[in-house]
Amino acid sequence: MSTPQPKATAPIEMPESFAIQTEGLGKVYGKGANRVEAVKGIDLVVRSGDLTVIMGPSGSGKTTLLTLLGLVDQPTTGRLVLGGRDIYAGTPPDLAHIRNTEIGFVFQTPNLIPFLTAKENVLLPLSFAGVRGKPAEDRVQKLLDYLEIAERRAQHYPNQLSGGEQQRVAVARALANNPRIILADEPTASLDTDRALAVVRLLRRVSQTNGAAVLLVTHDHRLLGEVDEVIEMEDGRIASRRVVGQDGLARSQARSAQPESDG
Amino acid sequence: MNLAFRDIRYHGFKFFSSTLGVSLLIMVVVTIGGIIRGVILDSSTLIESTGAELWVVQKNGAHPGVGTYGPFVEISRLPESIYHAISVIPGVAEAGPIVTAWEHVPQIMRPTPLMKFMYLNALLNTQTMVKPGWMAVPRVRFIVVGYEPGRIGGPPVIVAGRGIEASHYEIVADVKTGFHVGQRVRLGNFDYTVVGLTRHMVGFTADPVIYMSLRDAQNYLFQTQPDLLRSEQAVARQHAAQLAATSPRLIPAVVAHDEARLANTLYINAIAVKLRPGANVQAIAAHIRRWEHLAVYTDAQAVNMQLMGSNRLILFQLALFRDILVLIAGLVIGIIIYSFTLDKVHEIAILKLLGARGGVVYRMILQEALFMGIVSALVGSALELLSEPYYPRRVVATSGDIVQMLVAMSVVAAVASILAVRRAMRIDPRSVLSTR
Ligand SMILES: Nc1ncnc2c1ncn2[C@@H]1O[C@H](COP(=O)(O)OP(=O)(O)OP(=O)(O)O)[C@@H](O)[C@H]1O
Ligand SMILES: [Mg+2]
Repeated sequence: MSTPQPKATAPIEMPESFAIQTEGLGKVYGKGANRVEAVKGIDLVVRSGDLTVIMGPSGSGKTTLLTLLGLVDQPTTGRLVLGGRDIYAGTPPDLAHIRNTEIGFVFQTPNLIPFLTAKENVLLPLSFAGVRGKPAEDRVQKLLDYLEIAERRAQHYPNQLSGGEQQRVAVARALANNPRIILADEPTASLDTDRALAVVRLLRRVSQTNGAAVLLVTHDHRLLGEVDEVIEMEDGRIASRRVVGQDGLARSQARSAQPESDG
Repeated sequence: MNLAFRDIRYHGFKFFSSTLGVSLLIMVVVTIGGIIRGVILDSSTLIESTGAELWVVQKNGAHPGVGTYGPFVEISRLPESIYHAISVIPGVAEAGPIVTAWEHVPQIMRPTPLMKFMYLNALLNTQTMVKPGWMAVPRVRFIVVGYEPGRIGGPPVIVAGRGIEASHYEIVADVKTGFHVGQRVRLGNFDYTVVGLTRHMVGFTADPVIYMSLRDAQNYLFQTQPDLLRSEQAVARQHAAQLAATSPRLIPAVVAHDEARLANTLYINAIAVKLRPGANVQAIAAHIRRWEHLAVYTDAQAVNMQLMGSNRLILFQLALFRDILVLIAGLVIGIIIYSFTLDKVHEIAILKLLGARGGVVYRMILQEALFMGIVSALVGSALELLSEPYYPRRVVATSGDIVQMLVAMSVVAAVASILAVRRAMRIDPRSVLSTR
């Protein structure tokens, strides 16, 4: 993976192991009567190698937060630092390039490109990054093996694959450029418990072996046993943060007045 | 990775059926252009094929100095001898006498199935307007052109057989007559042998030409019918008998006059004049105009008069119709490409999320649009070229027409795809991130 050097102009007072850092991040949609403050003053630090879950009621701003972190939308206020780079300070960096090489998206539905085979879908981000030929082929093969997608299946178009297979291909595509950050918005919503757990374990494995920061939006409490940290959002704010061990035991840092009963 | 190619491969049927539809539209546009060119060529080849720079006809008595229809159409009668006088004008290389008229003979060929179909189709399309049986006339209509063999005015190319060599009873026919070399054709009172065939020699009505020697043509066209001749001769004899009682000394003069009137066929309709290189066309035309009863047209004037007098309004209509078709074809292609692109907004949003630059998306859509535009221009033109020989009139598309279509299709495709991508790029990527 090619990591662009941090900008000399942006003084950063945080270690490189912080994949994501935000300060007072906010997003306002619309104007006047239609004005919606979807996300308000988010201060967040996500370490590389951590799997963080974001929970919260519908409309609490989870997706909005991911669009800001994924450089899909620009924040209205606040600061966003990714991999040591202050994104919106100074001359704007090449956002498409950062999205391509440093961020992997996994969506609620697989969102594969229908006219590309499974293999070509995985190849796509590599091709955008300029990786071609044998290195690209090798990388795709490694990912397909990693996600246990058979060679024969890889030649199929998305509509010839089961939902679970499609979601695994989508994960492979998100991992193609070995991104530092993986953003997943309810990726297990359309899967049964076993498959949902499989996807989360996979993300867990990626965060541990590749040192990627994984942010996972989910409503599914059954998945929490696999995660490092749970962020609870409410009305655009972070209502609570809980660090949980691999053993599922909650550790300190509860900020909310009413701690969650499960976890 | 070429996304355009993969999208086309995946949506093969949709893509190629649309391309085929557009191709057919383009075929129609090119065909209308070819029909227009065919009408113009049909109206001018007979004149242009002679290579004459000037055409001499009888001056119009009612509108002196004003040509009406030009050679091959105008009612014009000149004494044959005048062409000798014209051929010795300085600067004139050659002057050829021309005799011409419309004629018809019974149709010998059985109509082809295609012709039958076109007949039935025309019947269907016109049955409320025409009288029954109007098209069933089993005749070949043609134009007789008589010329002095060896002089200007004969068939420009012989595609089979040979040119006219004997001074009598040989004809060269356009292939459209359906005659074949060696065939004997009865025209008037004589049998003629088809010794050669020519191609594309038709009048502005698209009727084929039959060339014969000047003498044959004069006999065929101007000779009085035998029955009429006999009755006229009887009248003349009666006339003479009456004169015998009153003024017998006038008899020889009156008889001579009547005989000359009945027998004289030494008329021509026009004279084709070829000039020496560098000769002054206007000066020679002015020279010829000094003959009080002669009118002179340049080649361009002759062609234009032919067009103006015959097919001008049809050309106007066809040209307008072609404009409309071009507009429709452009709109249809534009709309197809636009909607194909907007069908892909979701995919475009995914590509953006995966970090595709705008250029990647533009390239994909533009390549598909150009491919569709170029393929349909080529296929449409090819279909047109293949169908040309089957039309009853001449249809002639040129490589210029095809290049024009290629350019027009590429421009329309490019504009439509750029507009569509600009619209598609405005899609909120959140629509991909979460289904809400
Ligand atoms: N493009 C937009 N324009 C206006 N308001 C928006 C837009 N996108 C989101 N919102 C509003 O912002 C708020 C947060 O929405 P968001 O999608 O982030 O919630 P969420 O936590 O992801 O909800 P869910 O669990 O239903 O997916 C909501 O009130 C929503 O209506
Ligand atoms: Mg959401």
